[in-house]
Amino acid sequence: MNNKNNYFMHAKINIAVFLGVFLGTHLCAQPITVTDVVGREVTIPAPAKRVILGEGRQLITLSLLVPDPAAIIAGWTGDFAKSGGLLYDEYHKRFPAIAKIPLIGTSGKETVSTEQIIALKPDLAIFGAGSHGPDAKSADVIRALEAAGIPIVFIDFRLHPFKHTVPSMELLGKVLGREAQANAFVEFYNRRMNHIKGTLAKQTELKRPKVYMEMIRGAVPPGSPGKGNLGEFIEFVGGNNIGAILPGEVGTLNMEYVIGEQPDVYIATGIAKPGEEGLVIGQSVYTFQTQASLAKLAGRPVVSPLNAIKENKVYGMWHLFYDSPLNIAAVEAIAKWTHPELFGKLQPHGVLKEINERFLALPLKGVYFAELKR
Amino acid sequence: MALDINEIRKGYRQQFIRRIVLLCALGIATLVSFFIDMAVGPSMLDFSQVIRAVFSPDTVELAEKVIVWEVRMPYAIMALLVGACLSLAGCEMQTVMNNAMASPFTLGISAAASFGAALAIVIGLSLPGVGGDWMVVVNAFLFAFGATLLLQLLSSIRGSGPEGLVLFGIALVFLFNAFTGIMQYIATVEALQQFVFWTLGSLSKANWDNIPLLAILFLSTAPFSLASAWQLTALRLGEDSARSFGVPIRRLRFLSLLRISLLTAGAVAFAGIIGFIGLVGPHIAKLLIGEDHRFSLPASILSGALIMSLASILSKSVVTGAIVPVGIVTSLIGVPVFVALILNRKKR
Repeated sequence: MNNKNNYFMHAKINIAVFLGVFLGTHLCAQPITVTDVVGREVTIPAPAKRVILGEGRQLITLSLLVPDPAAIIAGWTGDFAKSGGLLYDEYHKRFPAIAKIPLIGTSGKETVSTEQIIALKPDLAIFGAGSHGPDAKSADVIRALEAAGIPIVFIDFRLHPFKHTVPSMELLGKVLGREAQANAFVEFYNRRMNHIKGTLAKQTELKRPKVYMEMIRGAVPPGSPGKGNLGEFIEFVGGNNIGAILPGEVGTLNMEYVIGEQPDVYIATGIAKPGEEGLVIGQSVYTFQTQASLAKLAGRPVVSPLNAIKENKVYGMWHLFYDSPLNIAAVEAIAKWTHPELFGKLQPHGVLKEINERFLALPLKGVYFAELKR
Repeated sequence: MALDINEIRKGYRQQFIRRIVLLCALGIATLVSFFIDMAVGPSMLDFSQVIRAVFSPDTVELAEKVIVWEVRMPYAIMALLVGACLSLAGCEMQTVMNNAMASPFTLGISAAASFGAALAIVIGLSLPGVGGDWMVVVNAFLFAFGATLLLQLLSSIRGSGPEGLVLFGIALVFLFNAFTGIMQYIATVEALQQFVFWTLGSLSKANWDNIPLLAILFLSTAPFSLASAWQLTALRLGEDSARSFGVPIRRLRFLSLLRISLLTAGAVAFAGIIGFIGLVGPHIAKLLIGEDHRFSLPASILSGALIMSLASILSKSVVTGAIVPVGIVTSLIGVPVFVALILNRKKR
């Protein structure tokens, strides 16, 4: 009897375990339906294990959610390998596999091979809604991939960073089966953004300091953001972007206009490595190197009459924050520099530290923000 | 008979005076345009302030001094120099090629310069010891100059007729465009943006480091052009006539190409690709003053400088506060003039 009971008990447990396992896997295999940032409804049978990145630099985005991002990338564009600088080298050291990820194109959307994407048999293609890689306007790529049964989701940190970062991260959490991480990041992101939004909303008479931003890009004269792009960051934190008069997203300001405007704050952005011209900043860069390059920029005769220079409100930041969920760190930095009376306590490198500890598969180490010391 | 000679002398003198007057008028127009260029800008500096900032820079505010000395003046001078270089090169080019459509950009010189710039911008390749901003300048110059030597070599292998030279030049255009295409294909997005901006042509790289270099280049080249004026005029009558006057045609063509490549390479290296000046400048000059190179060479210099100076004014006036790359504006001014020229030619 005892034996019999035991037998039944075992059988019951076995069935329960079996059911549990069965139901569990069944639950996991439940199709996932999401609506992406351009409003397309996309269904995939299970969390994606092999994805295509339409923009290689979104590796950093994946690193926020996945411990080994290199393992899930089936193919990508070559842009991050080239413009990622020392950060790419570090990724390569940590995840040697990224050197072997097949290329679907080199950099521009014209170079992307649809055939290559299909041949790689990915579970999912992740494209930016407006990006340097294939984007929402690449109708032929979208049509071909859909015909081949490869689902595409569009994320966006570039066109509308403040509207789309959260939905993009939630979306990625779902399609990659990393909802817990994504939700934690979104919670972190919202909390920090709400602090800035809330503080600004409380100001009855907000003075908007004029901000002159230069994107330092080596051999050609620096560009400045117009209404979109990083200009949106400046406006968001309660600054007045003097580049807003530009007709395009990015353009060249007449230095005479800049002098006439007398900006209160000067911010340079760049991605130069040590030894290169421009703003030396980013992964594995030392503070003295950033300071030297920033001092050189601030020492040009043409900017000498600016109040921002005279009063030493000279700042530098890593350029690639603008197309990334890490934009929160850039927002805090620009907020701090533009309204020190409101946001003086914010620590942009502290935000990065928290992101490093809680989220990133590969921590950002080096100089990402700088204030010129004299 | 004696009377006839006097008549001819009188006619010649009249023509001579007319041409001198025209040259002076062009010179004055260029000067006026330069002053307007110096006077126009988004800040409300009036002309008297500009003059004071120019002549006694230490008595004005720092902002005014910097606006005049670091922004307006370098741009305005660079415009004159670039226009003068390209137009003079174009005038010589049209004569030695015996082709009214020739310009420094027809023979692959600027295509080569573009490739040199792309090498520097995209993969950071230049001569050892050359770094930073100078890589683009040095590369553009070397490739433009190299292309001319290659051209000279190719055409000397198979006889140096102008037709052969034009055909080789066209081949070079396609060759270097293909090379540049490869560079663009492998470029990062950031490098590509830099390169595209560079090819649009811009005066905003003008500063007190590069202006003297271009000025020296121009001043050490132009006198040799002017000194060969009569030989060039003779060549304009046809190779056979020129040879009968004792003009050493091969040598003339080689030295002329050398000057053209120096002038073009210099202008392109500092200002990027600026189209149409090298084509339209000489045409305006010749329409006004005729084919006598003693006059058409200086007239080309002045008309090129004038168009470029006008383009510079326009490039900062289209959008207040912003600078439209001057290469775009130049073509916008150049195309209507060029079309009018062609239509006018048909009527005659």
